[in-house]
Amino acid sequence: MISCVDYIYTYSELFKYLEERGGYGKVVELWEGIREEFLANLRDYVARDGLKGMYAYWSHTLGEEGGRHHMSLYDDMFVIDMHDCPSAKKVFREGRIEPYPKYCEHCPVLYPPLIREFGYEVEYHLIDCPSGQCRLVVRKPPDVPTPDDR
Amino acid sequence: MANVHKDFHGALSFGIQFLDDQYGLAGLEEFFTRAAKAVYATLIEDLHCRGLDALKEHWDTVFTLEAGGFETWYEGDTLVLDVRACPAIHHMRARNYRIADHFCEHTRIVNEAVCAAAGYACSVEYDQDAGRCVQRFWRAVP
Repeated sequence: MISCVDYIYTYSELFKYLEERGGYGKVVELWEGIREEFLANLRDYVARDGLKGMYAYWSHTLGEEGGRHHMSLYDDMFVIDMHDCPSAKKVFREGRIEPYPKYCEHCPVLYPPLIREFGYEVEYHLIDCPSGQCRLVVRKPPDVPTPDDR
Repeated sequence: MANVHKDFHGALSFGIQFLDDQYGLAGLEEFFTRAAKAVYATLIEDLHCRGLDALKEHWDTVFTLEAGGFETWYEGDTLVLDVRACPAIHHMRARNYRIADHFCEHTRIVNEAVCAAAGYACSVEYDQDAGRCVQRFWRAVP
């Protein structure tokens, strides 16, 4: 069994393997599959509680994964400021594996399209991948219905 | 203390099914053989230098961290890992994640790659549905 603590290294190696065999499109196909078929729990959180659901989801996952970040929850906005991503740290800075250079690109494929399905506007900024810095900004548009209106 | 996020087992399972669907069992074999040598390079070196005690320490650490039901012991010169409650299978089942058709094959492939690189051999008998397996490790005959 590959331990969950060794998963991120394996994940990065999988991206490399898929790109070698099927090009970058095959890597994106994996990420889209994860979004559509594996992230049902995030979808449930957002459908049920909107912005507060996002806060609850990432409080759980980032709490378990570690790293350093700040989450901001407003009535009409949710923001994650990732200062030191635990996954990026493993991939880019531990020296255990040869990093997949586009490793961080999986997050913008996984999360914004899923959240937009519920009417939100989403920005994802990859600020500095090797140092593990990025920002997710979710806004509730005033004129579009979202789960927050219920 | 390492951070433990068991949902990664579900993500790995998704990746295994994706590989299987795209490239079949040969793709699983090729990928995990290659990944094992990269991800577990330190363990391979440790096993090569210190022998089976290094592997026993690895499994004791992993399964304790993941709160799996397990036991390790020696039968003569063979290290035995008896996994009675696989933390990956049990977590995926509890969270209703799809368990890849050949999920447990990754254990066989990774173990074989690690052992071969370090001069050891291994076997695994698994029951994926039950979340149990028995793994054995011994020094390969040159």
